[in-house]
Amino acid sequence: MNPIDAPIDTFNYMVLGYAVILGCVVLYIASLALRFRHLRREFEVYESIARDETDEPNR
Amino acid sequence: MEPMPKQLKILNWLTIALVAVGLYLTIWYAPREAIMGDVQRVFYFHVSAGWAGALAFLVAALSGALFLIRRERRWDRVAMASVEIGVVFTFINIVSGSIWARPIWNTWWTWDPRLVTATIMELVYLAYFMLRQGVDDPDRRARFAAVYSILGFLSVPLTFLSIRFFRSIHPVFFGAGDALSAGMEGPRMWVVFIFSLLTFSFIYGTFLWHRLRLQELSERLEILKMKLLSHES
Repeated sequence: MNPIDAPIDTFNYMVLGYAVILGCVVLYIASLALRFRHLRREFEVYESIARDETDEPNR
Repeated sequence: MEPMPKQLKILNWLTIALVAVGLYLTIWYAPREAIMGDVQRVFYFHVSAGWAGALAFLVAALSGALFLIRRERRWDRVAMASVEIGVVFTFINIVSGSIWARPIWNTWWTWDPRLVTATIMELVYLAYFMLRQGVDDPDRRARFAAVYSILGFLSVPLTFLSIRFFRSIHPVFFGAGDALSAGMEGPRMWVVFIFSLLTFSFIYGTFLWHRLRLQELSERLEILKMKLLSHES
């Protein structure tokens, strides 16, 4: 094939494109997981406080 | 806190499998485009991300309408979750398009109608969160956000049709019989493209379910905090 007829070499841009797409998806998953973990921890703390408060009048 | 439902676990694995197969198809199965070369493969996920973003904004608008009709808080939750995911997909769409444009148009960015309207759409939906942050009363917030998500949806068809209404260098993919300008030649490419659309629809569904669980937990935490505060006072 005549080099002038060959497709241009855009392999690096393809790699960059997929890296960005998958990177954004992974970042969003990480953000969901982190927010979920943070909220669950906070929920457990408040739940234990609520439990202590309901136990206190019985003492 | 309830454990993750079995159906969601299945959906997680199904989506992961679809992404893996989708990557295989786009990189190895789809033929190399004759003029653009390998970068044309970005198109499969670029268009699919745009599709998933539009789907997310449609779901948000429909949920907003359902909230206004039924006044059930769960529709506000769906709308909010869907807008957040739509913003992520639209961002992916814009950035991957820019990467494709660099070797093909010889620029990262040009003031093309499609690029401009897509960016405006992204900004419109980012403003949705500013609106939510700015209203304290939950009922008013949900009502305002519902109306905004319906009005904001006008930016979606505007983005889709912009390259048909105005002179544009962006390839016209659907309807104009000009898919060749996007490098879509031969049935293999169409199979990969349709599979990518399906994959991104599943990613959207999976994200939505997880985001809704997150929102439910957040609301339960708020209720618990309010209970403790009222107990103290």
